[in-house]
Amino acid sequence: MINLLLLPAFTLILIVFIIPIIRYGWISLHSFSLATNLSLIPNQFANWDRLLNDSRFWVDIYQTTRFAFVSVFLEIILAMIIALTLNKHFNNRGIIRTISLLPWALPTTIMALGWRWIFNAPYGPIEQLIRILGLAELNILSNPNFTWIATVIADVWKTTPFIAIILLAGLQTIPKDLYEAFKLEGGTYFDSFKEITLPLLKPYISLSIIFRLAQAFGVFDLIQVITSGGPAGSTESIALYAYLNAMRFLDFGYSSTIMVASFILLILLILVINLSIYSGKKILSTIKL
Amino acid sequence: MKNRTFILVLSFIIVWSIGPLCWQLYTSFSTPDALINPTIEFTKRWTFDNYKLVLSANPPFWRYLVNSLIVGIISTLITLFIAIPASYSLSKANKIISRISNYYLFGAALFPYVLLFLALLEFARRYNLGNNLLALCIPYSALSMPLAILILTSSFRQIPIEIEEAARIEGLNLIQRLRLILVPLMLPSISSTAILIFLFSWNEYPISLTWISNENLLTLPVAISRIAGSSVYSIPYGAFAAATVVGSIPLLLIVLIFQKQIVSGLMQGAVKG
Repeated sequence: MINLLLLPAFTLILIVFIIPIIRYGWISLHSFSLATNLSLIPNQFANWDRLLNDSRFWVDIYQTTRFAFVSVFLEIILAMIIALTLNKHFNNRGIIRTISLLPWALPTTIMALGWRWIFNAPYGPIEQLIRILGLAELNILSNPNFTWIATVIADVWKTTPFIAIILLAGLQTIPKDLYEAFKLEGGTYFDSFKEITLPLLKPYISLSIIFRLAQAFGVFDLIQVITSGGPAGSTESIALYAYLNAMRFLDFGYSSTIMVASFILLILLILVINLSIYSGKKILSTIKL
Repeated sequence: MKNRTFILVLSFIIVWSIGPLCWQLYTSFSTPDALINPTIEFTKRWTFDNYKLVLSANPPFWRYLVNSLIVGIISTLITLFIAIPASYSLSKANKIISRISNYYLFGAALFPYVLLFLALLEFARRYNLGNNLLALCIPYSALSMPLAILILTSSFRQIPIEIEEAARIEGLNLIQRLRLILVPLMLPSISSTAILIFLFSWNEYPISLTWISNENLLTLPVAISRIAGSSVYSIPYGAFAAATVVGSIPLLLIVLIFQKQIVSGLMQGAVKG
């Protein structure tokens, strides 16, 4: 009876999360675009055929995965440093905590624009610094080899605080006596980090990795604002490609196919990560929801 | 860590976190000439013109702030109104229901919601929900629902069962118990959940981008990205830096005031979720 209170919330989640995914699956089996007068016309697996042979899609998958892995890797390392620092007792810890939280709280679009200006050539601070040092211009936003690194930096800046807080929560569950005992045994700081901190933080680290990988896989506003996918498509993400297909080429059938495909690939990715972190054990049972 | 390393790391964290913000602040007060020529003389360097431009634009910039504020507050209220009873019942549910619900909620919280925009846009077109700030609160509430329920359920579980039993014996019904006893007890975690929902709604981009096209109804993130325009070189950087500063002030205030709640909300989500 009391479970009825769950109904409104679960229905809302059903409408907004589950039904769209089913709807995409259905649309992906149809032609659905301006050319079909916005009506659904079954086309067997034509969309899926096109997807498998669409090199732009696979390049985007590669670029998105690269973006996600490199960003999350750097974020975890940086967040660990921040969390270890903030876990210490020192004066004005609250202020530092607030400061380190700021990047996460600001809208992605706002600071994506900020980063675009920072990477601007030749007037942004980075190019100016390079000029002062007497090095050759980088032109980071117009060189297809470098631009994706700029998007990674902006993403790392923006989401590291989030992971840092999760890791900090984990650090505070570790009893201090463990470290005391370790010190008495003559262990160094780095030994205790390796022997105590890392193993006990493992659930928090893997939670962050899974959560952030899934989010980074759907990166959209950041890329849209900093590069619009350029130069030469070198930073285009899956979500951006799906967006372009729907909103610019008005091909909703193909856009839906891309979304279903990336959804499936994301699930596979998370399963593989799960297996590699937990060697068989499921993450959900480990984190104990 | 040795003391010197510690201070070094601390300074790095500070510079890394607010360096880009300071650069924005600097840009917003600079004349266009100063941005191009760093050696310009002092009198030609600083200006308030960028702020004048932003605040006198049509529609005025504060309109976007108000729009985002409306969407943020209403989405937060709707989410809490639905999530609090749901979390209460989930905290009382048997093992099977709570296990299934947790998978459902965790899966939804994990999902990169950007991928939902097309189906949600179809939804908006079918029920004529485009260009309506209140309608925008529906997907926002739904998207924040999973995390809200996960956090709130864990804090409902921390309330000792005796307290509720006592209230029941006093003859309070379910709604009274929630309103008079449980919700006041949970105020800290409710407020941190509220702030997380508000931040999400304030910052959300793809759905707002596709649902709202009316200039007067744009939310802040979309309005700002419109300033960016299309070309890397034609952006009025001074003006847009001023816009980002103005757009950041409400959030800076929120973070400064509610720093504790935000941190404890996220931590609770992490420890229990």
